[in-house]
Amino acid sequence: MKNNKILVLVVILVYVFLCGPLLIIGATAFNSGNIMSFPPKGFSFRWFAMVFQSETFMTTLGISFQVAVLATLIALIIGIPAAYALSRKNYRGKNIVQNIFISPIIVPGVVLGFAFFRFLIIKLQFGVFLSLLIGHVIIVIPYIIRVIGSSLDNLDFSIEEAAVSLGATKLRAFFLIVLPNITSGVIAAFMLAFINSFNNVPASLFLTGPGVSTLPISMMSYVEYNYDPAISALSVILMAMTVLIMFIIEKTLGLSHFTK
Amino acid sequence: MKAKSIYLLLIPGLIVVVFFLFVPILMIIVPTLKGDQGITLSRYIIFFKDAYYMSILMRTVRIGIITTLICILLGVPVSYYVAKSSPKIKGLLLAAAIFPQLTDSVVRSFAWMTILGRNGIVNSLLVSAHLFTEPHMFLYTESAIIVGSVYLFLPLMIISMVGVMDSIEDDLVEAAESLGANKVVAFFKIIFPLSVPGMIVGSVLVFTGTFTAYTTPQLLGGNKNTVLATLLYQKAMTLSDWTQASVLSMVMILITLAVMFSINKVASRFYVRGV
Amino acid sequence: MALIHLKDICVSYDGKSDILKKLNLNIEKGQFVSLLGPSGCGKTTTLRVIAGFIDTRAGEFIFNGSDYTRLAVHKRNFGLVFQSYALFPHLTVFDNVAFGLRMRKTSKEEIKESVEGILEVVDLSAYSKRYPKELSGGQRQRVALARALVIQPDLLLLDEPLSNLDAKLRLKMRVEIKKIQQKMGITTLFVTHDQEECFSVSDMVAVMNKGVVEQYDSPEKIYSRPKTEFVARFIGFENFFSLKKQENGIFLTDSGISIHIDEEETYSDREEVFTGTIRPENIELLPSDSNQTDNVIQGSIEVRTFVGKDYQYSVDTEVGAMIVNSSKERMYHQGDKVKLHLPSNKVLILKSKED
Repeated sequence: MKNNKILVLVVILVYVFLCGPLLIIGATAFNSGNIMSFPPKGFSFRWFAMVFQSETFMTTLGISFQVAVLATLIALIIGIPAAYALSRKNYRGKNIVQNIFISPIIVPGVVLGFAFFRFLIIKLQFGVFLSLLIGHVIIVIPYIIRVIGSSLDNLDFSIEEAAVSLGATKLRAFFLIVLPNITSGVIAAFMLAFINSFNNVPASLFLTGPGVSTLPISMMSYVEYNYDPAISALSVILMAMTVLIMFIIEKTLGLSHFTK
Repeated sequence: MKAKSIYLLLIPGLIVVVFFLFVPILMIIVPTLKGDQGITLSRYIIFFKDAYYMSILMRTVRIGIITTLICILLGVPVSYYVAKSSPKIKGLLLAAAIFPQLTDSVVRSFAWMTILGRNGIVNSLLVSAHLFTEPHMFLYTESAIIVGSVYLFLPLMIISMVGVMDSIEDDLVEAAESLGANKVVAFFKIIFPLSVPGMIVGSVLVFTGTFTAYTTPQLLGGNKNTVLATLLYQKAMTLSDWTQASVLSMVMILITLAVMFSINKVASRFYVRGV
Repeated sequence: MALIHLKDICVSYDGKSDILKKLNLNIEKGQFVSLLGPSGCGKTTTLRVIAGFIDTRAGEFIFNGSDYTRLAVHKRNFGLVFQSYALFPHLTVFDNVAFGLRMRKTSKEEIKESVEGILEVVDLSAYSKRYPKELSGGQRQRVALARALVIQPDLLLLDEPLSNLDAKLRLKMRVEIKKIQQKMGITTLFVTHDQEECFSVSDMVAVMNKGVVEQYDSPEKIYSRPKTEFVARFIGFENFFSLKKQENGIFLTDSGISIHIDEEETYSDREEVFTGTIRPENIELLPSDSNQTDNVIQGSIEVRTFVGKDYQYSVDTEVGAMIVNSSKERMYHQGDKVKLHLPSNKVLILKSKED
């Protein structure tokens, strides 16, 4: 069955389809010419240099980074207690609460962006950066709740009871015993939330303003008017970041978590 | 843990989500239903009677359905192969599916722009093979959006089905074979039906993802192939027609929820059967 | 006054059905007491009520004269050994054992001294720098025990601590636990479903069923004189038949045979109906031509099985099917007519259900 020739062929073609485009992008990034071409003509790092010298890319990269890190940290601070509460025994309304925390995933991204724009920027007159940050906190909360929730589900809570029976208060038991034993889940949740915030387009689209934009948004407007290997070079940089994040997730939660 | 303190832990998160998600959404939706006297659906009736809006809605649904079908077609055999591979190969194939999944959607769409563009790889291959005399326009078509969407969501389909395929015991296929089924029959009679729940979960993700996607249709579809998400952005930010954008928001939310609930209903039947 | 005094404890998880129904139990200082019963009988719930993890719906728990019913878990000073051991995976053996002392703000020197002392007692001095996952099951068990004992608890609670060990280690560990308990003189409550394990170490045993204590006695007493049908069944009685009291010491079976019974604890009226019971190995199996006439029931062999030491027979008798263990010296076959002699000092009268 597994070695059926047609099956193997399909699998190979699908993986060529999945990996090919990104490899091509990688190759074009090292072009030495002025236009995109594949196979690349010559070899140079000039487009990488161009990216690092571009003020727009560097500024928006900085903003994307700040927003992703801050939003993830805030979501962790409010998400860890909630995930902990959700993982303990059943109580009334637990399902509803769980769904409330997951709901940002269900709402279409552009709708989220539009709603944030109307409420945060127009109604509350918040600054663009603050609005972007709040929007991203909402976007990453589901990832925090899910990943940390599944780590907590796998935790033997009798260690917490043991700590309390040995004289620790609930709070100390949480910080001394529970938290150290879900660190891998927390790290993985951080990574997933970070990458989802960093890559977000549809919501960020509505939350940019004078001087404040994220990297994916500035990349989008760049490719609408320019067609050169600068974006390829930037893509290679982003893919390197993705590889690093995947490596960290594999070392903490394991990539097989995605299949659950 | 006493029940009261549990509620306390939930409160900060609930306040944030309710205040910054539920309130903003209600704020855009409620005005669309407000008429001169009480509630009105007139804005929605106008929307659904408008041929231009309908053509965009139909295009969006069409792209979503075709993308989902292609993802199922490719996702089922691939996820089966991945699930039944040796741990090492499996990890590698899984990583190769997760990698695009975690890569920025702008990067992924840009990749297809370089492949399908006027000076792209496909055109230069076809021209140099003398199949075309001049470059053909693949980009900025509905097909380009579909290719980009399949590229965007096929990993999701594979990943969500590998878990289900994992749980199908090899014994079952062996049992079917011992009862006289050949391998192909065993696949369609045993593996395929058992993988339906995973397929359903994956299909919901792929369809709703494609249905609401902004980046891919914007970059690969161009201005002619507007979909709901790009239309919403135009209305809201370019034309500042907030009422129409709100109507569109409501339509997108409702269709997304309707698809999720109806498909999950179907899925729950399979779960009852113990599949 | 007893050290532990549980009075009319009621616990329910869903607010409707009670897991514990007015449970009462008194435990004297220094005793090794077991809670014995099948799964779902409420024994672990009782232990968790005492530990403080479960809120009671009604009733009170008095410990050493003060009301502990609502006292927070971390203020109780009870040592707990969990079924899963619940060792802290991120801490070394030393730090696991030291945890409780650190919570008590004991000085560094004292912690070192106490931890090393208790590790010596459980024979783990060489392992203090290891992590739990580097230990065998038996070693983990001893770390869990050391961790619970080092805080000098007022009470030691053991929740099926041996159930994850293999049979040989289980035997060894239960002797170890008993030894340490005796040496430290610590009052101990032990939850188990294994009657042999429980009888071997306990001073007193509380047999539980459906949220109440059915019998609270010494192991010897429970073994030889169960008071209820549930307890009798749980400890290996297999034959039950109804007996109607005729006069003191003489009862009638349904089929009208009179049975003499030496010991009768239940004082009661004539004509009252009881359940009689006898262990399979206490029945004397005789050929039908035997001249034994007192306390004899007629029957025929239905099935014979070989159970190692003896043959076990299922005998169809006038009072119903009876299980009899009989020595290998004489073998009966299916269909053989036999006499069952129930020695008057081996038949027990059980309390009727309502008591």
